[in-house]
Amino acid sequence: MNSHSAAILVGFLLCAGAILIAMCLIASTTHDKAEPQSGVQPKGYRLRRGWLWALAAVAILAFGISLAGFPYGKPAEADGPHFKVFAYQYGFQMPSTIPVNTAVIFDVTSRDVNHGFGIYDPANHLISQVQAMPGYVNHLAVTFRTKGHYAVRCLEYCGIAHAAMQEGFDVQ
Amino acid sequence: MTEATTAFSDRLARNVMWAYITTGIVIFGLMVLVGLGMRAEQAQWLNYGPGLFYSLMTLHGAGMITSMVLCGMGGLWYLMNRERAMDPGIAWTAYALMTVGVVCVIASVWPGGFGASWTFLYPLPFVGATWPGWATGAFLIGLALIMLGWTVWCAQLLGCVLRAYGGLRGAMGWDIVFHHARFEASGKTEPPPYAFAALVTAVDGLFAAAGGMLVGVALIVHWLYPGVAIDPLWAKNLTYFFGHTFANLTIYMAIGLVYYALPKYADREWHTSAVLAVAWWGTLVFVATAYFHHLYMDFAQPQAVQYVGEVASYLAAFPPAVVTIFGGALLVYRSRLRWTMGSMFMYAGLIGWLIGGIGALIDATVPINVSLHNTLWVPAHFHTYLLEGVALFILGWVFWNLETHSGLTSSLRTRWLTGTGIFGGGGILLLGWYVAGADSVPRRYAAQPAPGPDIASWATVGAIIFVVGLIVCCVEAIRLAKSRRSETSA
Repeated sequence: MNSHSAAILVGFLLCAGAILIAMCLIASTTHDKAEPQSGVQPKGYRLRRGWLWALAAVAILAFGISLAGFPYGKPAEADGPHFKVFAYQYGFQMPSTIPVNTAVIFDVTSRDVNHGFGIYDPANHLISQVQAMPGYVNHLAVTFRTKGHYAVRCLEYCGIAHAAMQEGFDVQ
Repeated sequence: MTEATTAFSDRLARNVMWAYITTGIVIFGLMVLVGLGMRAEQAQWLNYGPGLFYSLMTLHGAGMITSMVLCGMGGLWYLMNRERAMDPGIAWTAYALMTVGVVCVIASVWPGGFGASWTFLYPLPFVGATWPGWATGAFLIGLALIMLGWTVWCAQLLGCVLRAYGGLRGAMGWDIVFHHARFEASGKTEPPPYAFAALVTAVDGLFAAAGGMLVGVALIVHWLYPGVAIDPLWAKNLTYFFGHTFANLTIYMAIGLVYYALPKYADREWHTSAVLAVAWWGTLVFVATAYFHHLYMDFAQPQAVQYVGEVASYLAAFPPAVVTIFGGALLVYRSRLRWTMGSMFMYAGLIGWLIGGIGALIDATVPINVSLHNTLWVPAHFHTYLLEGVALFILGWVFWNLETHSGLTSSLRTRWLTGTGIFGGGGILLLGWYVAGADSVPRRYAAQPAPGPDIASWATVGAIIFVVGLIVCCVEAIRLAKSRRSETSA
């Protein structure tokens, strides 16, 4: 697992743990002498307002940060070498070598059904992907910083040999 | 209406509810076993091959969602029937259509061998198929029948909600939000919280059914006349609009049951307020627009909808996180809540919903989706809020009814056994998907690349513990149900 994925997983588990602890603590208060609903509501509603603003701040921040990482744009017209990729049941037709440290664009389509074009780095981490759809060409821009063999796996269920649909290329 | 007539009417309504819920739970139990078999195949404990695996995967996906929908339909129909009586005949018609649909889907998988996944992304069902053509037809017709039954049910429920609260304005709580003083002075009764769940389910459910029927009919036409071409991107949008909305509504149906029963356990009230009404307006919009996140990796989509997908996914989290789940926690806080199987499941379901929601939001963030899309992170988060959310709400509702009518509760030991199995085993099962997803293991692989099989091995142990917990829970439910019957006959 690379550091990026590990950070996502750890962040998620910390959030899940915090929720679990908070909800268990709330559940444990039912052992106390019950308080009337009218007694807990004003405090609860004040807390809810704070919770709403905190969530809103997190959501706005996350959206703002995420915009920089959106993989769209107009790579169809972008400079740099374009490589055609044809997905089919059950393989990929694509180049065997890709230049390192170069912004390349994969022009990805399918000859039959929906497929996924998932690129795994030499350490077996998924680093980028796009769907391969019949009748459409999806343009995926990638810059490879590390030399080595990259596997390509299908990431959209496409039939009985879906799990065996794997090719690769060398980045040199 | 006399007391005897009311009792008879309630009994008829209960018959409808239990028919839906029992059918749903039986399908759910079978699908749990199918899921266990799939995880055992990925762990390489079994070796029955990809053909059967993908057929089971198709059955598991379609069956699980249908099972939870059926349970939610039964419970919500019963609750709304108390507000304004509905014709049980229409509910039985919907039930019959859905049951026949389920039989068709099962037949398509066995003996048909259909295995295009429940998402049946065009043109997959027709290209490279390893199953006969009739199986494709049976699956599509089965889904169409399920949609038809769902449409009938949604239409009846919508009619009930609108009649009960004076049209759409009353049902939406418009005056509660904008003319509160006038509304209070009018002496009108506000809709109970579960009526908002019913309204949103019915409206979004009808939209989802329209989308599902449109793409379903197009595929059936293509099945009959292969020369008729369909645009794959159009089909994909409709499939996910229908599929996402249909699946997502299960939790909003089930929370309606919690709105009713959890306050009874806590000896408090879950009020309808302006905040609650506005939250449900948000849910109405965002449940129907968040589906775009399924197509983030389709760069051919108009770019604007990719932004809509992320914003709608984020906003969809606010009503549950700020209003419903927070409200549930506040309801329980320092209350006299009786901890029984029913209240335990309902409260735990709130936790599962929140945690699964965070997993979903992470995946709904576009740059992160690049490395998580169609990995095992996806089944991780949706299993969290289906298995440890929707299913728990439904079990909570079942136990609420059984406990109320038998006057009995379960022992502490039984609750611990069930909790250890369902929460502990379930937690291990879910953790396996999260870890494997973060480690880039693809989903929907009969045979996974490393480290998939190793992770699947310990996750399968969790699944077995989960099943044991579920069995204990079922045995306890039967015990309570029998007590109820013996008391009734006595």
